[in-house]
Amino acid sequence: MTAGNSTDAAHTINLWTFTDEVPKMVQKYIDANPDFGYSVSSTIIATTDGAYQPALDQALAAGGDDAPDMYCAESAFVLKYTQGDAAEYAAPYADLGIDVAKETKDAAIAQYTMDIGTRPSDKQLVGLGYQATGGAFIYRRSIAKDVFGTDDPEKIAAEVGPGWDKFFDAASKLKAKGYGIVSGDGDIWHAVENSSDQGWLVDGKLHIDPKREAFLDYSKKLKDNGYSNDTKDWDDAWFADMKGEGQQPIFGFFGPAWLINYTLAPNCGGEKAGEGTYGDWAVCTSPIGFFWGGTWVLANKDSAKKEAVGKLIDWITLNCTKDGLQYAWANGTMNENGTKDCVASGTVMGMSDGSIDFLGGQNMFDVFVPANQYAKGTNLTQYDESINTIWRDQVREYSAGNKTKEQTLADFKQNVSDNLGIEAE
Amino acid sequence: MLKNKNSRGRKILIYAVSILLTLLSIMPFWIMIMNATRSTTEIQQHAISLIPSGYLMKNLAILLGKSFNPAVGFMNSLVISTGATLCAVYFSTLTAYGLVVYEWRLKKIYFSFIMAIMMIPAQVTMIGFYQMCYRLHVTNNILMLILPAIASPAMVFFMRQYMYPSLSLEIVQSARIDGAGEFRIFNTIALPIMKPALATQAIFCFVSNWNNLFTPLVLLTDKKKYTMPIMVSLLRGDIYKTEYGSVYLGLTLTVLPLIIVYLLLSKYIIAGVALGSVKG
Amino acid sequence: MKKKKQFSYAKYGYIFCLPFTIAFLIFSLYPTVYTAVIGFTDLHGLTMTNFHFLTDDPFKNFRDILNNATFLTSLKNTCRIWVSNFIPQILLALLLTAWYSDPRTKLKGQGFFKVMFYMPNIITAASIAILFKALFDYPMSPANDIIQTLGLSSGPVNLLINKTIARGVVAFIQFWMWYGYTTIILISGVLGISTEIFEAAAVDGANRVQTFFLITLPNLKTILLFTLVTSLIGGLNMFDIPKLFLLGGPDNSTLTTSVFIYNQAFSGGYLYNRAAAASMIMFVIISVCAAILFYLLRDRDEAKLQKEIRKQKKLMKGGARYAEK
Repeated sequence: MTAGNSTDAAHTINLWTFTDEVPKMVQKYIDANPDFGYSVSSTIIATTDGAYQPALDQALAAGGDDAPDMYCAESAFVLKYTQGDAAEYAAPYADLGIDVAKETKDAAIAQYTMDIGTRPSDKQLVGLGYQATGGAFIYRRSIAKDVFGTDDPEKIAAEVGPGWDKFFDAASKLKAKGYGIVSGDGDIWHAVENSSDQGWLVDGKLHIDPKREAFLDYSKKLKDNGYSNDTKDWDDAWFADMKGEGQQPIFGFFGPAWLINYTLAPNCGGEKAGEGTYGDWAVCTSPIGFFWGGTWVLANKDSAKKEAVGKLIDWITLNCTKDGLQYAWANGTMNENGTKDCVASGTVMGMSDGSIDFLGGQNMFDVFVPANQYAKGTNLTQYDESINTIWRDQVREYSAGNKTKEQTLADFKQNVSDNLGIEAE
Repeated sequence: MLKNKNSRGRKILIYAVSILLTLLSIMPFWIMIMNATRSTTEIQQHAISLIPSGYLMKNLAILLGKSFNPAVGFMNSLVISTGATLCAVYFSTLTAYGLVVYEWRLKKIYFSFIMAIMMIPAQVTMIGFYQMCYRLHVTNNILMLILPAIASPAMVFFMRQYMYPSLSLEIVQSARIDGAGEFRIFNTIALPIMKPALATQAIFCFVSNWNNLFTPLVLLTDKKKYTMPIMVSLLRGDIYKTEYGSVYLGLTLTVLPLIIVYLLLSKYIIAGVALGSVKG
Repeated sequence: MKKKKQFSYAKYGYIFCLPFTIAFLIFSLYPTVYTAVIGFTDLHGLTMTNFHFLTDDPFKNFRDILNNATFLTSLKNTCRIWVSNFIPQILLALLLTAWYSDPRTKLKGQGFFKVMFYMPNIITAASIAILFKALFDYPMSPANDIIQTLGLSSGPVNLLINKTIARGVVAFIQFWMWYGYTTIILISGVLGISTEIFEAAAVDGANRVQTFFLITLPNLKTILLFTLVTSLIGGLNMFDIPKLFLLGGPDNSTLTTSVFIYNQAFSGGYLYNRAAAASMIMFVIISVCAAILFYLLRDRDEAKLQKEIRKQKKLMKGGARYAEK
């Protein structure tokens, strides 16, 4: 577990995460601050096959020298570590030497990030994300011009929203000209999920928020009217629609900045304007505000190196100067391929330029910064990962016409009760 | 089919079926190797392709560029799999010998006990095992992945079933009369007779240990101790930008040693009856 | 295999089995007992510190599981998938064994074919699951391309949402992965049968069918028992493929009991007590089935011999020492 240098356990910070993103950041900090005095030992366990969480949980529970000093949690399961069963292991940022109130204000951290990272038992902030993953609607310029006569983001935003009714109106206009509005029902799910008033759990019982229940209807509407290609997100066909090679060309996708950089760009079929759909995209405000994804960083309350960890966490999540991580992340100087991403600090975003060729030169930060305000961090539970899997499975059965709505809802409640021990209201 | 009097027709049938099964068995390997030469985007568009593409070197570069070293993973996998296989095979045969050759009071109960262990679903003893390892602070210890193989109930079962018809007590008796000690008899007489069984089980044990992802994944947190399957899973874990091309290359590299080991050991299974000095 | 012994070698039995016992006690005892015990508690949740024994209703977890609709579904699925996987598998394996172990048939490339048949077992379940999912995916996949080219459907067909097809594919994958393994086990068993028997049979004029059914099969009984029992255990514990292929979907149609247990323990509810209870229920089911198999395939000659010996023992009390059975 020790690093390669001759540093001892007292000067080694144990970092647990699931990709090499954060270790690279930490290494950059150490390289830039030679008198930091600590080295980092990273434990990376991928989240595929569900192995990260059990290992992290055991390591936290066992304690001792090998326990993590600093650990990361992804948005799919972060609630468990900031508010749920594992929240007691986290150290409040205040204990790390961070002036929470002042710094979050200076950096203009997106509210939803803080909501998620605040522990309900003592109202302390225990985790923050470095990215901002507020979502927008990413659409094809050429199709926009063909159907709506313009590709201007503000005008398109007015066509597809606000609200789902306008969205479906736009869908029928697109259908009339032979286009689908989205690739599959998964594309609108995150927006639906995040816009609900309450989460899946209310007073310990399963609650189906009416806005989420409406997803059943939306999904069926998309399929029955042919507004989508009925794909499943992250499947082959979904990627093919980014190139426009699905059954019908698709107008747009819902997603945060990372969707553009890491998913759309590599799959658009080209690397510069004119190839594939590169450069034919633009971003506009989503009909419904939402967020999707992100990584939160936490510290172990039993760590003996709180001050050092505090410095690292502060640099990653709250530093809003040009030396901080967030500035590098936003302006493309952090990653090899120079991708620009949205960060949690509104201040940094304001200082940065998010224009990219992929979007035909549009500055995407103009759209994404306000998008973060609409994201909600209060309607989540630590069981969301599992419940969402069950829910999407049942919705697929319904929209395929295999079940009635009553049966779908009944089966959903049954499955949640059987698998998670959570009874319905 | 067996009633087909025409020996030639029968042979043709056998060959036809065998070739069909061979193609069926090879297909996924072929797809995997082909995918190792394709780029991530190509794979995301069409998961299956029968013809290679030109990204092999690029995928290799990505694989080597990650923060872990495939050569190290290979060595770790090798050490763990070989160690576990040797332990399992030797001690299972030893235990089976004890059950077959000797008469002792608790024998039947003991055998039933071994069978009972075999029937426990593995998933739930997992929790207790991890808890134990963490509490005792023996995580990151490769021995924890090797020594438990000494107790392999299924292998004991197989060795016992194989031993019953193929090892006769007369041989043991005559060796005793010749003055050989019990252990000597086991090592010099019984083991050679069991060669096909040993080879068969060795292959299975090696393969299953080599491919075992979950247990090492949770127990080994030190990068220097990672096994190959762990490294491949790390590649798949970059959710936003999974490099499928190098994943498939990693999978191919993981499988390659297994194929070699299998080819080396398989002659013990293919070879004719002339191999073991077997008596009825 | 019974022997009268003047001097007891019995202690060697204990000695030879000692390493196994020690290794088991060190590495497996705690987890096993732990699991057995918590089935009777209310232990759940991530931080497993407080738990109570359900003294007023010890079998509550077991009752909950047996009334759990999803568990019952998973049990049905497990049986269905296992049967559709195992029957073709054992038939094919027996057929191949018959063909390949026949000393009278000279087949070229036997070695090569045997190697090929085992290959599917080498590949990891994860890779296979991905591959097969990609093969049958919707709306774009090779299977769909073929269907549309053949004109069987005008648009893409969602094959994997059909429960029978999903189960069929899982059964097929299991069959494909394990038929070579079973074949090799059986062949190695045949290699243990002395050639003299076969030669004698040939001299007596037995043809291939007779040889196979009257000589090969009966001598394979011990190995067959092994194959059946391990296949039963493996089948009832089927985990990798159902979990990785479709996560137990669609709509729980490929959910097997092991995946169900895993979900109880790790999908957010951390219901370890229920998972343990379910494991124990499965353990009982498996043991009963295995016991039946043992009974059906018991060595009848051996059993007769035992009866004889017991009779003799009763007649001769205090005489020469007989080994106990």
